[in-house]
Amino acid sequence: MNETEQTGLATMRDCWITGGATFDLAPTAWKTIAGSTSPDEQERRLLAIAAQALDVALRPAAPKTLKRRPPLPRLALPMLPERLRPLLRAALKHAVDARRKTRVVTLVASRGFVLHPMDWMPVASDQNSPDVYAPWIDWQASVDGERHAPQEKLTAENWDEFYPAARRIALADMRRSEPASARLLVEAKASGEPAEVRLALIELMRFGLNPEDAPFLKSLSADRSGKVRELAGRLLARLGEHGRSNDGGPDDPAAELAAFISEGKSGFIRRRSIYTPAKLKSPAQEKRRAELFETCNLVDLAARFSATEPEFIGAWQFGADNNADILIARMVAASGSDVAVTHMADALVADGDKPALFVLHLTPRLDSRRKRALVRLILKQANYLNAINLAEGIDAGWLEWNDLSNGSALAALRSAVAGNDDAMRRGADDILETIGFLATATTAAKLIDEVVAAGMPPAAPSLSVLRLNAALAEHQSRTDT
Amino acid sequence: MEFDLKTIEALAPDQASLSAASKLTKRSNWPRLEKNERQALIWGECQGSGSNPYRVVVDTGDHGYKCTCPSRKFPCKHTLALMWIAATAPASFAAAESSPEWVNDWLGRRRKTTPPPAQPTAGAAAKSIDEAARTDESAAVEDVAAVERREAAQRKRAEDTRQAVSAALDELDQWIADQLRLGLSGFVDGSSDRCRRIAARLVDMKATALAGRIDEIPSRLMALRGEEKPDAAIRELGKLVLLAKAWRAAPDDPELKRLVSTSETREQVLANPDAKQVESFWEVLGEKIESRRDGLVSHSTWLLDLKSATPQFAVLLDYFPASAGRRSNAFAPGDRFDARLVFYPSRKPLRALVAERMGEVMSGAWPDFSFGAAKDPLATHASYQDAAPWITDCPLMLPPGAILVDDRGTGWWQAADDPQGIALPIAGAVNQTLLGLDLAATAALWNGARLELLAAQSGFGRLDLS
Repeated sequence: MNETEQTGLATMRDCWITGGATFDLAPTAWKTIAGSTSPDEQERRLLAIAAQALDVALRPAAPKTLKRRPPLPRLALPMLPERLRPLLRAALKHAVDARRKTRVVTLVASRGFVLHPMDWMPVASDQNSPDVYAPWIDWQASVDGERHAPQEKLTAENWDEFYPAARRIALADMRRSEPASARLLVEAKASGEPAEVRLALIELMRFGLNPEDAPFLKSLSADRSGKVRELAGRLLARLGEHGRSNDGGPDDPAAELAAFISEGKSGFIRRRSIYTPAKLKSPAQEKRRAELFETCNLVDLAARFSATEPEFIGAWQFGADNNADILIARMVAASGSDVAVTHMADALVADGDKPALFVLHLTPRLDSRRKRALVRLILKQANYLNAINLAEGIDAGWLEWNDLSNGSALAALRSAVAGNDDAMRRGADDILETIGFLATATTAAKLIDEVVAAGMPPAAPSLSVLRLNAALAEHQSRTDT
Repeated sequence: MEFDLKTIEALAPDQASLSAASKLTKRSNWPRLEKNERQALIWGECQGSGSNPYRVVVDTGDHGYKCTCPSRKFPCKHTLALMWIAATAPASFAAAESSPEWVNDWLGRRRKTTPPPAQPTAGAAAKSIDEAARTDESAAVEDVAAVERREAAQRKRAEDTRQAVSAALDELDQWIADQLRLGLSGFVDGSSDRCRRIAARLVDMKATALAGRIDEIPSRLMALRGEEKPDAAIRELGKLVLLAKAWRAAPDDPELKRLVSTSETREQVLANPDAKQVESFWEVLGEKIESRRDGLVSHSTWLLDLKSATPQFAVLLDYFPASAGRRSNAFAPGDRFDARLVFYPSRKPLRALVAERMGEVMSGAWPDFSFGAAKDPLATHASYQDAAPWITDCPLMLPPGAILVDDRGTGWWQAADDPQGIALPIAGAVNQTLLGLDLAATAALWNGARLELLAAQSGFGRLDLS
């Protein structure tokens, strides 16, 4: 299209927008085609030419503001084989929330693969997906893409060159290997960050927490953010540092909380203390007690009874008041020392039965061995199988067939699958999904056969994680041979 | 296999279904028949009247079934035919180790109930499988006079239709002239009502296909920004003028007839010796499912010819009533198969039918299309428009490029070696992950204003974008 035609088209266009005849405005060549027909026909012919010109002769111009994102980085693990992607997509589709999706992603990573970016992408604020995805999290967080995560060690000098996720992972690693250097870095840099980032940085102090961290944590009692002050207080409590002075006055929350707990004695020969939650008279009291459990630290509460943390936990009468048990479990998880946490977990798992479920609150602070022991216990007892879905931060792909077949879990699952109770079946679906994450590939394959034999349709969506798990092993063995 | 003919007779909703099913029991209607005895399932693909085959699965244990056809009869003739084959020729079913994804999908979604086994009901006496089989065998022999009468009536109907359509196009011409006189800004604002009115007139005057196209103009305009709408209106109305003129010049042209009044039947296309046929490996690029204002849902499945050195496309197009609910798709994006396609005759053949399917094909990369240096990405579109200026959606294979965003968040495709030149705006929201991927080749549809992405090849493998 030449310049005259372009100008002619523009004026004709303006004329048609408002309405009217454009014949006189048309380029000469077009007028010739429109010919000497009726005015309506002339307009139609010109319209046809204009339509064709717009379609064929013009090209959309690129706006000047077009921006390109930096290329999506390659991850350290190979991509999940194409053959397994339909199974993965089915498993992701069945995983209803971000937490369950992350479990699927973790399972795949535990077998040495990453997902295709069009199947799943971590969000910029993701803190739970496997470390291998850090470059993608930072890619998501990067707006301009000008910074590039350096490969060298994190220092105060190159702090700003790291993306947040890469920095978090580098710091967590450093806390495990050189806790003092990591603390010095956080000390130097945290104060310059906004409260939200500061909180995330201080939170990393839980890795390799040791008494040398106490002075820094104490210094945070003057922090501008209430959340940071609270977190620092809890970390200090884990180190056995009392957060508040034990003056016993009316303003001391530990004293107020202690009043909700009755101290008694038990045993004929060796009298020992026991602690039982006092009977509450009103919902208001219940609410207040919950608030106090949340704000007080275990070490302060134990001190009110002149006991150490393990002594206090050992003497607590689990089973007397379910709500109080949950509150104390949460308190131990939040502010108990490592000794108190492991003491509570070991004692309750050894005793078994329902109180063992309170250990679920402690899972974020338990080592891998104890978490596995808890899962095995829940499966063995099978009275509260659904509780398995609540376990946090457990490794993927370790549960053996014996762990399932030793107790009553299999029988319970089989009867739920075969039964007509919809609620039971839904419960079984959730448990199967969780076991799909925990199981080894062999266990996953066997379990599918078991529940299908019990009447579950072989292609039921609730088996999707188990199927993916089993197929991942098949692939590994194929590539091995 | 746990079927006997009595059970099928009892399950059939009426005699007509049984009769229709009997015609479908020929093995040639079923490119795929498989069974899995462990799961008590039989399934198959039946080439029905649509472009896509219908997928049928039957649980032989409890007689549960599912078919992707839009029939409102339950079970439909395809399901009955599958059961019939199972009862009479069980050897036709190949044993399969595992069930395909679409069967698994159905199994996963179905609520397993245990209905009482099909028993002959009171109305069952009215249905007879023997009669259905008989009607199949005894084709009535027409006498010569009857054939002549029928053909004369057909000619008369065709002539009547042609006259009606001609009058419809006269009315359309006048309507277009009115829109230009009244101003396109008013047309853009009131396109919904104005298009509906003329579309209704065109339906009355037998220009059904054209009416459907005009009914969709408002939604196509709505998808654009305000400043783009007048140009789009010029394009849409101008194409109608061209189409009307082309039809007047050649009212018997099959392509123009299809676009203005009605389409040929599947059988007519298959029987047409002039229809282009291509036997090749095909990859399903993607699907486009649109609910139309006339109550139909159009379902297009775009295919890429994997054996051709230059990008060649085909589209399988089906319509079904929106009230039939969402259908399961016959193909999934990325599927590959070996098939002979027959194209509807046209200047740039795109719409096709699967005449014969030979089997599945292994997945892999696309052929290495040699994109010329600094080639116009819309050159294919221009050649389509030169041959058939009424085409709205043109398939393109774009050279290496990437997706970028403007300050309003709209995605644009741009060639890798052409950072300052042409960029094509993308319809709808763009998956943010795409912005970080280099696209080695991208299959898309260009409608003159927006690019609809179908699929792409990248460093991360095939990307499903439809």
